[in-house]
Amino acid sequence: MKRLHSRHWVFLGLLVVITAAMLLRVPMQLRTSPETQRMFDYLDQLPEGSVILVSFDHEASSLPEIRPIAEALLRHAFERDHKLIGMALLAEGTVIGYRLMEQVAEEYAREYGEDYVYLGFKPQFIAAILSMGESIPATFPEDYLGSPYATLPLAQKVSSYDDVAGVLSITDGSLTTHWIEYGGARYNLRVMAGVTAAMVTTYDPYVSSGQMHAMIGGLRGAAEYEQLIDVGGGGLRGMLAQSTAHLYILLLVIIGNVLYWREKKNKAGKR
Amino acid sequence: MDRKVALAICFVFGVVMFIQYFSGSSLARQVNQSILEYWQIVFAFTLVVGIVGVVRTNVQRINKRDDVFFRIVTLAGIIIMPVVALIWGIKADTPFMWMFENIQAPMQATVFALLAFFVASASFRGFRARSVQATVLLVSASIILLSRSALGGILADEIPQFAEWMRNYPSMSARRAILIGIGLGSITTSLRVILGIERTWLGGRR
Repeated sequence: MKRLHSRHWVFLGLLVVITAAMLLRVPMQLRTSPETQRMFDYLDQLPEGSVILVSFDHEASSLPEIRPIAEALLRHAFERDHKLIGMALLAEGTVIGYRLMEQVAEEYAREYGEDYVYLGFKPQFIAAILSMGESIPATFPEDYLGSPYATLPLAQKVSSYDDVAGVLSITDGSLTTHWIEYGGARYNLRVMAGVTAAMVTTYDPYVSSGQMHAMIGGLRGAAEYEQLIDVGGGGLRGMLAQSTAHLYILLLVIIGNVLYWREKKNKAGKR
Repeated sequence: MDRKVALAICFVFGVVMFIQYFSGSSLARQVNQSILEYWQIVFAFTLVVGIVGVVRTNVQRINKRDDVFFRIVTLAGIIIMPVVALIWGIKADTPFMWMFENIQAPMQATVFALLAFFVASASFRGFRARSVQATVLLVSASIILLSRSALGGILADEIPQFAEWMRNYPSMSARRAILIGIGLGSITTSLRVILGIERTWLGGRR
């Protein structure tokens, strides 16, 4: 019962810390990491009108972390007047991706069909990636809204990976690995990613080897990107909450260890 | 006999897909495209098998009065979502998407968010410096935790730099070793399946 009690206090403490941090809204200044800068530079230096494939390869559960990443990248791409083709390799990412593209496109007055297109979901991700390398219109005969591929002005210019600058995979798992292994290795597709913090170390070797061109990771990556494009969003808003939660967890680790060593010392003293 | 047919199909497709990967001919590309289309059709059938399995298991458990309420909710979800999808479609602004956005997505995010509470509780009760290895893990985790927050750079510039060093050297070398191991293991297993040495995918009988 006593142990259950301490756990409840820990839960309550975390709730208070996060709620207070969310209410405070203190402006934060972050040091930009090299990988975030690399992603920014790439999108910034691409010629205007470049076509980028954006794949929403995530589930709904990671939305609070994924959403700020996707919004920051989409804002930058639309601001630079790049053309975006959206799609999803996980069913759950389909409508989330569509809504995000629709919302950010509206902010920048971008038109569906001309400036962006949403192709929707394709099951069996490996087959879908390989099939798109052969022919995107054959893989997606119609877009998410049911319009034939050939009737969309932007889509008419794109028939395979040769016609896109790269793919931007927004992921909370290992799906980007398939973009690297099949899209990158077989069709020379340039792969970039926006990933959850938990997946950063998984993709580090690919960034280091050059198999992945650029990556931004977690809420911190989103916040850094928001600073670079000078548009506030969920990343910067959430960073204070995340930082205080991290501090709180560190404090718990320290308290837990102090208690552990004290208990150990007491036991040794009794012997 | 049926096992021999399955093994022969596996061998032929394995060899064809292997050869076409390295071929640039238009015939190989057409073959590749056709196989990829069939792959997706076959995948759709595997979904049916999965659904039948879930329904059967849950019905059996309901008959045994085991977690009846939750199993009924599961079955209701399996029935309602496809019915709604068949009637109104699955595009944006349909009842199917309304249910996804307003029921499934918030529930998933809620369950995922609970992890933060479990992490907090576990870090208090379980993350102890019991040995040298555990202490190294504890210190590394604390530095990474600080570096991913806004406080790392504020407390000392060295914290994010040291975290970056840990990611770029010790962590990455371990990760690379694992990836190389996975790659070699995948090649070996694939060869064993294509050549018919590994047959557990057929049901495990020799």
